[in-house]
Amino acid sequence: MCLGIPGRIASIRDDAGLTMGVVDFGGVRREVCLQYVADEVAVGDYVIVHVGFAITKVDEEEARRTFEVLKEMSQLEELEWMAEVADASLSRTQKPDVQGAGESL
Amino acid sequence: MKYLSEYRDADIAKSLIARIKARATRRWTLMEVCGGQTHTIVRQGLDELLEGAVEMIHGPGCPVCVTPLEQIDKALAIAARPEVIFTSFGDMLRVPGSDCDLQQVRARGGAVRVVYSPLDALALAQQHLDKEVVFFAVGFETTAPANAMAVWRARDLGVKNFSVLVSHVTVPPAITAILESSDNRVQGFLAAGHVCAVMGWEEYEPIATKHRVPIIVTGFEPVDILEGIWMAVDQLEAGRHEVMNQYVRSVRRQGTPPARALVAQVFELADRQWRGIGEIPMSGLRLREEFAEYDAERKFGVGGLKVTEPADCRAGDVLTGRIKPPQCAAFGTICTPERPLGAPMVSTEGACSAYYNLAKYRATDAAEATS
Amino acid sequence: MTKRPPVNPAQLSCPVPLEQSDRVQLGHGSGGKLSAQLVARHFLPHFENAALSQLGDASVVTVGGAELAVSTDSFVVHPVEFPGGNIGTLAVHGTLNDVAMMGARPVCLTAGFVLEEGLSLTLLDRVIDEMARAARAAGVPIVAGDTKVVDRGKADGLYINTTGIGVLDPTFRPAPARAEGGDAILVSGAIARHGMAIMAAREGLAFESAITSDTASLAPLVDALRPLGGDVHVLRDPTRGGVASTLNEIAVSSNVGIEIDETALPVPGDVRAACEMLGLDPLYVANEGVMVVFVAEAQAEAALRALRSHPVGADAVRIGRVVTAHPRIVALRTPLGGTRVVDLLPGDQLPRIC
Repeated sequence: MCLGIPGRIASIRDDAGLTMGVVDFGGVRREVCLQYVADEVAVGDYVIVHVGFAITKVDEEEARRTFEVLKEMSQLEELEWMAEVADASLSRTQKPDVQGAGESL
Repeated sequence: MKYLSEYRDADIAKSLIARIKARATRRWTLMEVCGGQTHTIVRQGLDELLEGAVEMIHGPGCPVCVTPLEQIDKALAIAARPEVIFTSFGDMLRVPGSDCDLQQVRARGGAVRVVYSPLDALALAQQHLDKEVVFFAVGFETTAPANAMAVWRARDLGVKNFSVLVSHVTVPPAITAILESSDNRVQGFLAAGHVCAVMGWEEYEPIATKHRVPIIVTGFEPVDILEGIWMAVDQLEAGRHEVMNQYVRSVRRQGTPPARALVAQVFELADRQWRGIGEIPMSGLRLREEFAEYDAERKFGVGGLKVTEPADCRAGDVLTGRIKPPQCAAFGTICTPERPLGAPMVSTEGACSAYYNLAKYRATDAAEATS
Repeated sequence: MTKRPPVNPAQLSCPVPLEQSDRVQLGHGSGGKLSAQLVARHFLPHFENAALSQLGDASVVTVGGAELAVSTDSFVVHPVEFPGGNIGTLAVHGTLNDVAMMGARPVCLTAGFVLEEGLSLTLLDRVIDEMARAARAAGVPIVAGDTKVVDRGKADGLYINTTGIGVLDPTFRPAPARAEGGDAILVSGAIARHGMAIMAAREGLAFESAITSDTASLAPLVDALRPLGGDVHVLRDPTRGGVASTLNEIAVSSNVGIEIDETALPVPGDVRAACEMLGLDPLYVANEGVMVVFVAEAQAEAALRALRSHPVGADAVRIGRVVTAHPRIVALRTPLGGTRVVDLLPGDQLPRIC
């Protein structure tokens, strides 16, 4: 429902009591209200911007960690894939496999 | 762009699709509540890629689509006034009211301007002291902090020629309404990541428990959405029903407390009409009494306007997943993207519009195959 | 397709007959469906003649045995100056390009100016200077002109109309109706730059970027393709409405299907970022120095080499092909292997919040 895109804070300033800043979105810059995240951000941090407001800070460490899990998962050997597909089709005739394959996420 | 392009990685997406298909022992019905996620699903053709394993129902989470007809008519009435500069997000301009839309008001001489941010509308008011600047404050919880700030700031700076026409809705009551409808088919939800970035996800926990549905807080890129679907399918297959957070890089359990705080100071909960769905109790926000002077409905005396929606349009049934767009008699006949009857036909990625285009493609394909 | 009950549209009244508005709307000028309706319902019935009915970028008229391409265009861009050019550059390139898309060699231009009372003469000089520079660079003289001044408030600074005349080449006659199954589809450079450069400069959405308009004369690229002769089937410059609208027009004119590959679309990083920010699709954003080329597959590589030999075509790439399935439909393959229909937009593309 809400278009929000990540950008990097290029500068921060005070505008008559309101924390504003310039955010860089891949080479495009725009003035953004940083008031809601003012206590936790510094220049260089990434924030999600919606209609000119930073609504949350991007947790870069979390992002790196979870993305690596996804990347590794996508590089699994084909053999493991086959095994998993086989497991799943097996479970169609048995009770659902409560252990699941997804807890790595 | 960092934190955007990597979540469009085709290899990761394909592996998630394979994983979902391998895990699903039956076809599960999920709803993405958010219009932004619908946009990605339709644009990337994710429905097609998941066929057989998951059916995605496109939910009522487009603020443009659910803004009730009577609020649009109020906007049209205000925008037509000569002393008014009416400001809005771009996508509201084409939403049909009872007899026209904001673009047509502009064609007839109304001052209607697209702005990127509500603060831009406020700045416009400061530049045009001889005019009344009105901002069409639509949106879900994500947009509420921005609209709240514009009002707060207007009062702070003593700007008197600025007001907002509020049409704010909130997500959890809508999810509950869908789950409590007698013919509900939805078995799991992707909750909107940016709503939760503001609000957190505590509100969703009792819903997941009570109705035994998994609710996954999900981001907006293809990899995010597929991972969200994977998490939901995995829970369903395992018989679990929890709130999980896929969008960990941007969403915390508490959301963004300063934003929640200002929203609570400026707005209060109220009953709200949803276009095509009807009234959902306590599902919207309205300005608190102390901000009444910034309420455009009062300022321009349009509060009493009541409108009935066109009976031919079954947008509500589409948005709640009861029917697919082609099952509506108006679909493709009296309701097309050029002549939209209801809001889901308006935006290119609205549920009805998306089906309309896909149907056209498949129809010619089928014709080709049989000729 | 799910079967649906038959409906007699005549028995039902649509509460929102958008297209039946009694006023001209901005959408009528956006190059989309409303524009097409305006031409078909209001202009053609009155102006009907063989040359006009071709509805190409330019019309063909025969004068003393010689075939000429004639095109006219009005320029109302706001702001008048933008990164990479101004209304004058556009007025030259836009009309020259329309003539060139017929495969013709442009020979002259005319220019008509509507100036608003109070317009800065310094600004006018900058516009005229750029205009002259663009015409000189293209080797095409401006041979006739006209000026009118209107009251303050009756024009947005200045408007320019230009008409271009070119000589057609009997051996090189690309046309929107000549696309054939199997054709390779190329674009001559990065897309969506012009529209986003304008958007960045417009108040209300203002953002800072290094995005510049792509405005350029395409005539040299057309000359580079000339040796391929009849194998070049269609040339078209995707201005308003962007690549998506142009491909739709060609699919309909030639009664063919078009398939394009999203990953192949050349969109510069900052242009993509600006589109992300406003929720716009670069496929629908205007260009002023890019052309779409439909060429027989056997000559596709040669055409790419020819385009790339000129600076304006240095970034030329292949974006898709013509298919016989789904005639009149433009389909896009997503990076994940999904498909979606790229339709004509009902009106202007608007920034989204959703």
